[in-house]
Order: sequence, then C-alpha cells, then structure tokens
Amino acid sequence: MLSLLCCFLFFLSFLVHSCLRLRTQAKRSLKDEKEIDEGAYVVGEEETPTRLLRELMPRHVAVIMDGNRRWAERAGLLTSQGHEAGAKRLLEFAELCFKLGIETVSAFAFSTENWGRHKIEVKCLMSLIQRYLKSKIQFFQSEEIRVSVIGNLEKIPESLLGIIKETEEATMRYKKKHLILAIDYSGRSDILHACKSIVKKSQQGLIREEDVDETLFEQELLTKCTEFPSPDLLIRTSGEQRISNFLLWQLAYTELFFSPVLWPDFDKYKFLEALISYQRRERRFGCRI
Amino acid sequence: MDFNDLMPLLSFWIGQIGDLGLDLLWRFIHIVVSLWHIVSGIFEAILSNAISLGLIQKYSAIDIEKLRCLAVVVDIEVARDVSKVIDLLQWLKTIGVKQVGLFDSQGLLKKSKDMILEMVPGSMLLQETGEKDISPDRKGIIDIEFISSSDNKEAVVKAANILLEKHLKSNNHPEKDEEGDNVFTESHLNEALRVVGENVRVPDLMLVYGPVRSHLGFPAWRLRYTEIVHMGSLKYMRYGSLLKAIHKFTGVRQNYGV
Repeated sequence: MLSLLCCFLFFLSFLVHSCLRLRTQAKRSLKDEKEIDEGAYVVGEEETPTRLLRELMPRHVAVIMDGNRRWAERAGLLTSQGHEAGAKRLLEFAELCFKLGIETVSAFAFSTENWGRHKIEVKCLMSLIQRYLKSKIQFFQSEEIRVSVIGNLEKIPESLLGIIKETEEATMRYKKKHLILAIDYSGRSDILHACKSIVKKSQQGLIREEDVDETLFEQELLTKCTEFPSPDLLIRTSGEQRISNFLLWQLAYTELFFSPVLWPDFDKYKFLEALISYQRRERRFGCRI
Repeated sequence: MDFNDLMPLLSFWIGQIGDLGLDLLWRFIHIVVSLWHIVSGIFEAILSNAISLGLIQKYSAIDIEKLRCLAVVVDIEVARDVSKVIDLLQWLKTIGVKQVGLFDSQGLLKKSKDMILEMVPGSMLLQETGEKDISPDRKGIIDIEFISSSDNKEAVVKAANILLEKHLKSNNHPEKDEEGDNVFTESHLNEALRVVGENVRVPDLMLVYGPVRSHLGFPAWRLRYTEIVHMGSLKYMRYGSLLKAIHKFTGVRQNYGV
C-alpha cells in the first residue's frame, strides 16, 4: 500500500513538473529553433539531450570510411556494391555536415596501402570514384561545394586524374563548404612531401633554413588547401580503433570517435551520437585550463 | 459559449495533452537510457573487479608477446598526480609489458622521471637511438620512455632541417651524392629523427587516460597503425579494465589497408 502511494506521489509530482515545463516552453518562440531534418534533431541556442549547439559544431570533420566490404558480405552482395553503398553514404554524410554548418569534411577514400588489394577491387574503386565525381560535378556546383583531392596521385589512372582536375577547377571558387577526398593518401608521405617541398623552396631561395618551423611545415602539407587543416572530430567506423596513416600530423588534438557500425550503415542518427559526444568533451589542446 | 467557440479551446487542450504525452514518453525513454548507463557502469565495475581477482579465466593468460611497445597518454591535469602513474606502471610490469612510452603534452612526467624510475622497481629509462630488442633474459624489467609534445612536431621539423642540410650538402658535392633525390624516404626521416634523439618505434597499443578522446599530440610519425583505446580518467583506473584492454588488443587482426 505504501509503495503504491509512493509511486502515485512520484507520478503526480512528475506530472506537475511536466505541466510547469510545458507552460514555459509554450512561451518560448520557435524563432530560436531551426528544423534541420525531418524531426531527427534541431540546432538551438541551449543544449538539451537532443539538441546540438551551433557554436560547438566542429569546423572540420574527418572520416575513415571503414566496413564497406564487410557490409557487402553481410548483405550477401558483391564488394563493389559495398563500395557503391559507401560512396552514397559519403555524399549523404557530407550534405548533412554542410547543413549543420560544418565547413570542411575530409574522407579517407583510398589509402596508399590499399594498392595492395586485389587488382579487380582496386580497378572497381578507381572506376567508382571516377563515375561518382563525373556524375556529381553539377551537384557540387549547385550546392556550392568545393571539392579537393589530396594524395600521391602518381598511380591514379589518367582518366580519373582528368576528372579530378575537372571537378577541382569547376568548384574552386566556392568557399563555405569544402569536401576533401584523400585518394592514394598516406600520412607519412604527406610529412615527407612537406620535407621535399621545403627543400625545393630552399633551393629556389624562397625560404631560409632558419625559417623552417612548425607553421611553415604545416603550410607545406597536402591539407594546405583548406583553412582548417586539423580536424576537430575524426570518425572511424566498423569498430577499428586506429587512424591507419590518415592525417597523422593534423590529428594531434582531434577528438577520436570510433563507431562499431559499418560505414554504409553510419546514418544521421549515428552521426548525431558522434556530435553529441564531441560537444560534451572538454578539449584543452594540451594546455592547462 | 457555443460549439464554434468551444472548438479552438478544445483543440488547444488536445494539443497540450498530446505534448504532455510526448514529453512524458521522452522522459520515460530518458530514464530508461539513464538506468541502462547506470546498470552497464555497475556491470563494468563488477567485471573489472572479477578480472582483477582472477575469476575470469580468459584474462588470466594474456599473450603479452604481441604487445611489444605500449604507449600511455595521460591528460596533463592527472599527470601531476604521479602516484597514479606509478601504480599504473607497476600494474603494467605485473602484466608483463616490457616497454612503455609515457606521454603528457607538457612534459610533466619527463620532469618527474627520476622519481618514477625510483618508485617502480625493475624500471629502466629507455635510452633510445634505434629499435631495441627485448631479449628474454630481461624478465621483470620494464623500459620506460618519457615523451612530450616537443617530441612530436618540433622533432619532425628538426629532422626535416637535417634532411635539408643533407640535401644541400649533396648538391654542393654531387660526386658524393649516391642517393640524389632519395633523401626523402621514410627510412631517411626515421634516421634523421634518431639523430635528433627521438625513438621511432611504433607503439602497438595506446591507452589514453583523460576526459578527451584524443592522443593529445603524441608523436604523429609513430602512430600509423597504433590501436587507440580510451580508458577514462586515470583517477578511477582499474586493473581489470587495463587487463581487459590489453586482452582485447591481443585479439585484434589488422589487415593494414590490404
């Protein structure tokens, strides 16, 4: 009897509290709430469990799109279909990022180590990237998304190189949204490339030995194409917990989010989880507060 | 008051009741999720204690040979509490870890290295200019390396300067230059980093202790394929959680991008 009474009192106080909250919420106008998606979440001025703060949004999000092959295997599909699903997911992901005000999205599309995969798979991947870039140029232009490709690019087929150049040129003038695709990229090669670039400039008399410092070094990395070369948030899917030679220099203070979900399944709700986790972290960039 | 006047009032109250219902449902879900987190936290704590007491068989025998080099990243706020770091090192030694790289961005642990080495029996400073073989007769010894942010980007810049110098010299003496443009391979940068006094050994596993899930500026060159595990606060570290993280690592299969 006593426990029933306690439950009832608890429920009653809960109800009253809720009514009071409703009254204050009704007074608050919808001006400070902006619908971003079909009701999945809203971005507002205050933080609530479902809301993200615009001022705490990362400026640069990087993603290691892992799990396409495993996804295809589980779905009983071909590996190429897994990569297709992954490419589609990347475009959706990038669109969502830009809608949320995230200015730069970097995606690890093909690593230098990936050349070691089966020739047919590599050929499929190259063909897929070429097809997607070619078919989406108009989309990038209409959405004003700048597309940059970083990587070694020496082994890339000529036809793909042509499409990359065309896409970059067609979208170069856009400033607010930037999609960076890392193709044939290696973090270590990026650092070595910066060393070579410094030597070249030194030979040309453009810099002196004593000018070489961290800032100058950073300006020679492949990520110099963006205003924010260091990602605020890195997402890696499929449960693997390593950065696998991606943006080694740039990830010093990046929030690392490892999701167990396979990349083609990494939808907006999983991304929301990553963003909430990011916004709740206390990032100190190696300094004391 | 006729029916037409009553309708808007009625629809308003229906809307309010609907909102209240949704609000209650949301709070109910919130309670369920919060309870779930509490329960899983309690479960985690029990599991950790059970592992510590050796009650779970699979954690009793860990293939520690797979873990040749371990990196431990510590948030600067807890790096001041050296006693916790010492406890952690003693646990790692008990587990059988042979080489540990201790990192904090400001180098606080570097400053306390003498005390740490004194307080951890069987510990030695890793004097590193190259890869160190861990021979079996060094049982019970743990090599500790102290790392800070100055060993990251600053060191790479210094190494780049060494390579620049080398290249300029080879340009001045082309007859001595056997390598030409090939001074910029990974092994050359490794060598240049060693000249600067840096260890180039790649950790197999990195444990991050602190509020942020970030490696906080650990030497980037060394992190290519390192498994990264966030362990939470060093203040609340548990032996069982440590054992579980290492055990999980021994089961990981990397394909290295292939």
